[in-house]
Amino acid sequence: MPVPPVDPEVAARAARRQARSLALQRMLPTSVQQAFVLLRSVWQRWFLWLILALLVMGLLITVVWLAGRHEAEQVQTALDRDTADAASDLRAGLMRNQQALQALHAAGLDSERWANDVTPLMRGHREWLRLEWRDLQLRTRAVADTPYRMRVFDEEARNAEQVDVALACRLARQTGSAAYSPSHYVPRPENGGLEVMELCVPAGADGYLIATYALRDVLTELVTATLRRGQEVSLTEPDSTRLASVGTARRAGSRVFTSEQPVELTGAPMVLRVDGWRSAPDVFPNMLTGLVTAMSIALVSVLVLLARDTRRRLRAERELADSLAFRKAMEDSVVTGLRARDLQGRTTYVNPAFCEMVGFTAEELTRIDDEVPYWPTELAHEYQRRQTLRLAGGMPPREGFESVFMRRDGTRIPVLIFEAPLINAQGTQTGWMSAFIDVSEQRRIEEISRASQERLQASARLATVGEMASLLSHELTQPLAAIASYASGSLNLLHGSGGDLHSDREDIAMAVRRIAEQADRAGQVIRSVHDFVRRRDRTREAVSPQALVDAVLPLVRLQARKLGVRIDLALDEALPRVMCDRTLVEQVLLNLARNAMQAMDLPELRARVLVLRVRRSEAGAADGAQDARRWLEFSVADVGGGITPEVAAQLFTPFFTTRADGMGLGLSLCRTVVEQHGGVLLFEPNRPCGTVFRFTLPTA
Amino acid sequence: MQPLIDGLIFIVDDDASVREALAWLLRSRRLASEHYASAEAFELRLAEEAMPSQPHCLLLDVRMPGTSGLVLFDRLAERGLLEEMPVIFLTGHADVPTAVDAVKRGAFDFCEKPFSDNALVDRIEQALGLSLRAMELRQTRHLLRRRIAELTERERDVMRLVVEGLPNKLIADQLSISVRTVEVHRARVFDKMEVKSAVELANLLRTLD
Repeated sequence: MPVPPVDPEVAARAARRQARSLALQRMLPTSVQQAFVLLRSVWQRWFLWLILALLVMGLLITVVWLAGRHEAEQVQTALDRDTADAASDLRAGLMRNQQALQALHAAGLDSERWANDVTPLMRGHREWLRLEWRDLQLRTRAVADTPYRMRVFDEEARNAEQVDVALACRLARQTGSAAYSPSHYVPRPENGGLEVMELCVPAGADGYLIATYALRDVLTELVTATLRRGQEVSLTEPDSTRLASVGTARRAGSRVFTSEQPVELTGAPMVLRVDGWRSAPDVFPNMLTGLVTAMSIALVSVLVLLARDTRRRLRAERELADSLAFRKAMEDSVVTGLRARDLQGRTTYVNPAFCEMVGFTAEELTRIDDEVPYWPTELAHEYQRRQTLRLAGGMPPREGFESVFMRRDGTRIPVLIFEAPLINAQGTQTGWMSAFIDVSEQRRIEEISRASQERLQASARLATVGEMASLLSHELTQPLAAIASYASGSLNLLHGSGGDLHSDREDIAMAVRRIAEQADRAGQVIRSVHDFVRRRDRTREAVSPQALVDAVLPLVRLQARKLGVRIDLALDEALPRVMCDRTLVEQVLLNLARNAMQAMDLPELRARVLVLRVRRSEAGAADGAQDARRWLEFSVADVGGGITPEVAAQLFTPFFTTRADGMGLGLSLCRTVVEQHGGVLLFEPNRPCGTVFRFTLPTA
Repeated sequence: MQPLIDGLIFIVDDDASVREALAWLLRSRRLASEHYASAEAFELRLAEEAMPSQPHCLLLDVRMPGTSGLVLFDRLAERGLLEEMPVIFLTGHADVPTAVDAVKRGAFDFCEKPFSDNALVDRIEQALGLSLRAMELRQTRHLLRRRIAELTERERDVMRLVVEGLPNKLIADQLSISVRTVEVHRARVFDKMEVKSAVELANLLRTLD
């Protein structure tokens, strides 16, 4: 791998960082280190999420803030507009009043007509407190008070305000038009006081017309009533000193929007101020904010869900990939051939083992083709029929069935086939899955095993015969001894001098007859052995139990006589014949009888009885299943010393023996033989002493 | 062909043909025999009848049902019957070590079946000879004991000292009697014991041990 060039400074920095982190790790105890590592991994994992949350939060706050501000701006704008309208209304109103006064002057002022002219005017202008006509020296010529109030001014107090009036009138005279005085306060004893303002309209030579405005009434009358609703409308001086105000008082906990609009009045600059308030803005002050918030939450939720879903998907995909890889590895590694077919009989899948088994590639096998390349040509017809049957829904045997396949090179292989329906995720059958086991090796092993089993049995039989050699020699020595005795005696008589020759002759004749008898007896002994040892064909045949017993009885009796054992036979009446390999079963019987007799070869044992019993049995199969076969039970009972638990534990173990001259093969072979016949061999204590061995054989 | 010894042979074997053949063989040599099928049967005979007066021996099969030959042999040994009734074991070849062991314990011989019959009969005759000598010895002792019983106490004292080889004078000193008296006793002892000399007397008494 090429190493990218490293900037020495970067490397040094990295090294320093590493050293620092190492030093840190060295300083910290292990548990803290672990916590540190854990923290870092958690940080790495949640870092992006945290940033996302912060961004969303920031967005949310910005939107809420912007929305709030936008709303406030709207309110402010509306308020400004309203205020501007109101200010212009106010100015227009004041101008109209001015014109009304000029009109009054124009109509010609006359002391007599004053009351008539002025009264309707006063009724029309509620904002006016008083209308005066003064001469050029500002002496009062005529006065009219508003009919809506109690009299506000007395003449003395009015004179005190002469300064303001003079100021306004001088200004009016200078400018030649109407002018206002600055507002001033008129205290009233009954209900506080009033802020008033004078308007002086020069009336040429007639002097001046002076109207006194109550500022509060100016607001009431000249400003649109709607503006006062929910808002406070006030007139202030340019320095914000409040002069008069109308409208709703300010509510606590509300936000105030203020708009000011200057009202340019000659001599009395004033500001119209409107204080609107709205309830304090909520976190979600309006629909938009709420909507945005809700959508943000929804967005975050969806993101979270999406992330979760993605993670789950990733995990599922990883698991799927793992299990796929696992399955692939499994299919590739098994020696069992696997093949899937769809419902039309086309091969859709084969695993490498199957390909190897039949010698074709997977492509050749899955090619859509009527010809199945691994069917032996002579059997293809039958296989076709079988496949048709299977596709029609015939269930294969659970334990599988055997068949023969053909390799590419034409050699035949025996296979064991297991078939099962292929069910997809929706629970419908999509085809058949078949497993194939190449049993040719198994066959070969079975063959070898059978051969070795046979060899073992044959050698065991020879061993049995070997063990019996001394017994046999004893059996043979008896007649031989007798023969030798008669022969020697006869010679003695023939060579003898004295005695009655005639009676000697009879004696010799008798001796020779005896010799013949004994020779015959010896011959029988040898024949009984020969019959037994002779290898018969290994076939199952129907044999009567009596015949089996009779076959071994001579040999059994030989030993029984020797050991002083009485043999009791107990065969039930009319026993059916058993299906068995005669040689092997005889061997079993002989072995059991010999064991039984040897078990009774105890010096202190007087009554030595061997009971050989054959009777029908209810159940005899090895697995205890009740099958249709009927069974015979053979039992060999002795009255010997019995079997100790230690011996019983390994009684059937090959090469386990309690005898010095034994090979330890007898009982293990007996059991093998009985089990090969489907029966069981077992033993139990005999009453009152000894042991009973029982085995079962199926009847023919 | 006359038998050298007039004897009786007991045969104990579980195999009838062997018993009969042996009896027949012995008869061909003019030897009388009785045969029994088992140790029990033979023991019954010993209990019911007296031992035969003529020399006898026992042919015993080692392996038999019931009481085996060896067990019977041990019982006979306990009863002290083996001296006058030598036992020849009949064995199969597998029993040879057993039989050898039995010989070490006092059996006369063993014979492996199938046997060379006349050789067996020869051994039987030797056994009978042994039996005969044993019987004669028993009779001699019996006679001797009877003679000793006839001696007086003083004569028995004198005889003991004579056999020890003491001269008359010393005998007289030891018994505190006169030499003359010793001579009389001595002559009477020789007379009653039917011996001529002290040496003969000593030999005679040794057979008692």
